[in-house]
Amino acid sequence: MTHTLQNSAVTHPADPRQALKWLAFGALALLLVLVPEGLSAYWLRVATTAAIYTLAAASLSLLYARLGLVSLAQVALVGVGGWVSLRVAHSGHWPFELSLLAGGIVAGLAGMLVGLPALRLRGLYLALITLMAAAGFNVLITAVQFPNGGEGLRGFNPAGGTLMVRPWLGQSDIGMFRYCVIVAGMGFLLIEWHRRSRPGRAWALIRKGEACAMAAGINVSLYKSWAFCLAGFLAGIAGALLAASLGTLDARSFPASESIMLAALSIVGGAYSFLGAIITGVLYRVFPAFLDNLGMAGDLSYVIFGIALLHTLIIAPQGIAGQLLTQWQHWRARR
Amino acid sequence: MNSYLIFLLAGLAIGSIYALSGVGLVMLYRATGVLNLAYGAIGAAAALISWQLDQWGGFTPLCWLAGIAVAGLISLGYGLLISPRLEHREPVIKAMATLGVLLILLGLLYSLWPANPRRLNLPSDAIAFNMMGVRLTLTRLLAFITTLLLTAAITLFLARTRIGLLMRALASHRQLSAIVGIRVIRIEVLAWSISGVMAGISGILLGALVRLDAGALTFLVIPALAAAIIGGLQSLALTLAAGLLIGVVESLCTLLPTLSSYRSATPFILAVLAIFWLQRNNRLLFASHQ
Amino acid sequence: MIELDNLSVWFGGVQALKSISVTIDAPLVGIIGPNGAGKTTLLNVLSGFVTPRTGTLRAFGSDLGVLAPHLRARWGLRRSFQRELVVEDLSVLDNIRAMLDALPGSRTEKRRQLDDVLDFTGLIDQANTLGARLNGFERRRVELAKTLAGQPRIVLLDEPGGGLSGDEMAELQRIVLGIGPRFSATTLMIDHDVELIASTCVNTLVLDFGTLIAYGPTAQVLQAPRVKAAYLGDEELQ
Repeated sequence: MTHTLQNSAVTHPADPRQALKWLAFGALALLLVLVPEGLSAYWLRVATTAAIYTLAAASLSLLYARLGLVSLAQVALVGVGGWVSLRVAHSGHWPFELSLLAGGIVAGLAGMLVGLPALRLRGLYLALITLMAAAGFNVLITAVQFPNGGEGLRGFNPAGGTLMVRPWLGQSDIGMFRYCVIVAGMGFLLIEWHRRSRPGRAWALIRKGEACAMAAGINVSLYKSWAFCLAGFLAGIAGALLAASLGTLDARSFPASESIMLAALSIVGGAYSFLGAIITGVLYRVFPAFLDNLGMAGDLSYVIFGIALLHTLIIAPQGIAGQLLTQWQHWRARR
Repeated sequence: MNSYLIFLLAGLAIGSIYALSGVGLVMLYRATGVLNLAYGAIGAAAALISWQLDQWGGFTPLCWLAGIAVAGLISLGYGLLISPRLEHREPVIKAMATLGVLLILLGLLYSLWPANPRRLNLPSDAIAFNMMGVRLTLTRLLAFITTLLLTAAITLFLARTRIGLLMRALASHRQLSAIVGIRVIRIEVLAWSISGVMAGISGILLGALVRLDAGALTFLVIPALAAAIIGGLQSLALTLAAGLLIGVVESLCTLLPTLSSYRSATPFILAVLAIFWLQRNNRLLFASHQ
Repeated sequence: MIELDNLSVWFGGVQALKSISVTIDAPLVGIIGPNGAGKTTLLNVLSGFVTPRTGTLRAFGSDLGVLAPHLRARWGLRRSFQRELVVEDLSVLDNIRAMLDALPGSRTEKRRQLDDVLDFTGLIDQANTLGARLNGFERRRVELAKTLAGQPRIVLLDEPGGGLSGDEMAELQRIVLGIGPRFSATTLMIDHDVELIASTCVNTLVLDFGTLIAYGPTAQVLQAPRVKAAYLGDEELQ
């Protein structure tokens, strides 16, 4: 009668992107072990922030690569996560992980709410709504400020406050760096787990066409919302890590232009792979610091990234990571 | 009563520039399919260049013309050189590309004119009227009148002239229009230039009424976008009304102490409400584009 | 048994379907008509992608009109698209699995259903191939497989025979004829190839300008003068 297939788990054709994934994880492992020891205090802090924004970039790429949606509010969601985690941390002697999760969950809900209006409209409207949400968040956080141990709901003391307590496993700067890299790695695993199972399939069909997805019994609104929620959650986690690593957050660090930058760089770095997310984190934090060191104005990085974005969109939509992958494939084919 | 009137009139003035920008955005979107998020940045360039030329002792009206001309050129340059290469992509991608222009302009403008208090003085600031007991500068009145005139002109242009009709045809089917023989490039040149010039005018007016700062002017595209959204990216009249509404609501919020610090979130809130309204019937199915 | 009662669809000022009323109780029914007759619109109404202004749709006793498209698919009302919507990044297996995800059932049961439909549509060897690497007819098979995965009750096929070679058409006939016996589902098939319809469908429904002009045994319907008149000038009936 019918002959069955051998494997029971979801089979993935041996596609070259698998190899790239292992490369990315290998790079992560390297980061964990070798990198921290050789860095000065300043560069260690830069590297930590880069690792944190790698997670934020991955959240953005999730929406872009899986659903073709651009969210221009991810840095604002990082800010939401940061605010909530700071508020929770300053309210009592909780383990850091609680603040971390609280930040993630609230940011996840916020992400879902922001996406809600545009759920049944074209992707352009989502981009616009998220842009306005990012600007709106800037207004809000400038008025409310980040908690620093002060009194009341806002928890903000203008005269100055206490720093956020770091996780038990991340007390030192090196420890914090490793903690961030591990959490980022777990974030990647969470995304990958989604991609390989039911949500991933649903998203792929939605990307193909909403009619296609509905004809396959998929509740499009639900899965789109879930994607917004997950992306918000990861951004919120990044926010909590940022708050813990810096001890406090500044409202001036969250203008709408930062969310635009992250979106631009996620595309430039490569939205279709985790290696791309890592490259984005490096571009976003390490490159400007590098320019700074050379005495060049930080504004120059805006110009360079703007040009890079145009170049990527027009000529190399897979981004830098995509270019590297193609090179690597050519190299393999020649052996 | 007086304070309400003051803020109402101030709101109408700035709202009319939001409306003008919104109309420019929608007109360009309808003609080219590109939502130009760098609109504010282009306006900022016009404002700062005008200011700089004026500082160097140029003849003031010529300085404005120069600024507006530069804005038109930047917009046209983008429309002719870069936009065609993204012709077949989704609207989101086309909008993302304009974000690239935003970043480039923002970086250049900030490095040339770092954040410093700067005033763009228009001679019309010095002339004032007394309207219902409130002092209204000529600048504000001019902003309002310019917006109404330009919006009316563009609406008529699109509806009544041959080129306007062609522009509307183009918006629906660029490829088909080209095949039928419509000179696509000529129309796009017109659309991008007009849009750029309008951006320049808006930028200078905003520079006078609000603040002459690259970042602030660049992100004043957001209220304009909100107005455009409320107009459904389609209706110029609605966009006009929406822009005025946003300006007025924002301005009146200054009177309420609790809401005052949040008033710049007005565009966001109104746009969200508009989007909810827009999608109330929407079954996003079998849209030939997606 | 499928019951359509007084279905009318308006697109702006144009009436695309005019009071369609019919009871379908044959296992394989063809839908034919000139271009623009409303055939695909009828399929869209049945599958929930277009809302009728008037009328009801009932199948096997249930009122399907109240269900959203994705819920109708889960209920068992499946449809294919003229342009196959096969996801390039997913394997054939995953493309079909997406349909099964939405349905209840244990993993082993779904496994069995998956194997069953792959075997039936001749896709066992292509199970792990990415959508991007399939040829045209293979994509057609996947499109069909998606409609048959799980427990289909009504299968709507939109021009499955378009652009097929002789061999491929024979294979399509085998598949279409097998749906009823293998899955106990009712199939409605739109196609322009009258030979395909004549050789497979028990009954045929004819639409013209949004109106139902005939329904009955295929041979009879194809000979009806009114049907021939509708096709006058159309070479395909030669």
